[in-house]
Amino acid sequence: MVIAIGFEGSANKLGIGIMKDGVVLANPRHTYITPPGQGFLPRDTAKHHQAHALDVLQEALDEAKIKPEDIDVICYTKGPGMGAPLVSTAIVARTVAQLWQKPILGVNHCIGHIEMGRLITGADNPTVLYVSGGNTQVIAYLEQRYRIFGETIDIAVGNCLDRFARVLKLSNDPSPGYNIEQLAKKGNKFLELPYAVKGMDVSFSGLLSYIEEKAPGLIESGEYTPEDLCFSLQETVFAMLIEITERAMAHCGSQEVLIVGGVGCNQRLQEMMGIMAEERGAKLYATDDRFCIDNGAMIAQAGWEMFRTGQTTPLQETTCTQRFRTDEVEVTWRS
Amino acid sequence: MDNSATNSEPLVVDLSIPFPTSREAEIAYGTLSVDAEPKRSSVKKTVVHKDNMLHIHFESNDARFLRVSVNTFFDHLGLVVQTMERFGPPRLK
Repeated sequence: MVIAIGFEGSANKLGIGIMKDGVVLANPRHTYITPPGQGFLPRDTAKHHQAHALDVLQEALDEAKIKPEDIDVICYTKGPGMGAPLVSTAIVARTVAQLWQKPILGVNHCIGHIEMGRLITGADNPTVLYVSGGNTQVIAYLEQRYRIFGETIDIAVGNCLDRFARVLKLSNDPSPGYNIEQLAKKGNKFLELPYAVKGMDVSFSGLLSYIEEKAPGLIESGEYTPEDLCFSLQETVFAMLIEITERAMAHCGSQEVLIVGGVGCNQRLQEMMGIMAEERGAKLYATDDRFCIDNGAMIAQAGWEMFRTGQTTPLQETTCTQRFRTDEVEVTWRS
Repeated sequence: MDNSATNSEPLVVDLSIPFPTSREAEIAYGTLSVDAEPKRSSVKKTVVHKDNMLHIHFESNDARFLRVSVNTFFDHLGLVVQTMERFGPPRLK
């Protein structure tokens, strides 16, 4: 029996989760929500994590009904993500690891998403679409690496959605993407937007500039409603993601597709992916907001797998790094 | 802080932080000595612990970078101390 605790703070969510051999014992999270029209900045986000980390940690221990001495390994997000929030969260992890005399492990955030998705859905060897506010990647596993088949060449799809939400002054509670999704359900007039798939990669910045520039005028004139624009934006960016995911699946001969990351809880994206999977005779795996959105349990789960194969990180090497590619990690726990 | 320094003589901040025990100073050292200063920062920071004291030396030619570095350090130190208060005392080695 191994109990792992995971500290996640790479973006605006501070999450601490506890995993015991594949069972989620606790997974509390506190989200830094900014006023409409504003994104979250590194310094303010770090302050948020510093203010809430200890309460969330206590909540996790209480909910899991365990004592610090029951924990076998402390896992924290090493990267990728925003520097200051990552470090603030790692500081708590390093300190409790020493107080409690436990080994510590730095975990790649993207690997956390993938391993949690596999655990929760039971997908064995899926092609993975990892979509969030900071990352957009199509990933498949081959020979001890999660290999990136395609990715964004500029901004992440979630960043594109979030920034359009700011143009419309939508609420950031619970998340800008969620509010875009709700509006999109009521939209029906499609505006053609630049569709930018380049080989296996996607690009969203040109599309975002286009819709940012056009939106105020189109809404003003009554030609399109905000709902129509949210609908058009979602249909376009999701179609691009489905296209590269399908191509990766065809290349790998994969019969499973897993969606992870914050944008992955979007029902329309899941629906579109489901249609594509069905046409190929493949199976779609997706999770809900508890595990799609950044959380501590996913870091504990990936750390649990790493720890199982004998990995730990010496304290002096428990640094954080803003850039940390998914394919840099040697996957020692899969055959 | 020595503000009289010129470009040839760097600005310096020295902090000495006492902890209840040397073990706690050692833990604070373990946590706070890991992170390098940001790449764009010109600050040189050294952390040492001796008995129950933590000594931190900051050095830079740029007062602004120095201030940011010291402020960030205090934020982090506060977080370490609070963590010790709520989730300590340290287990015996």
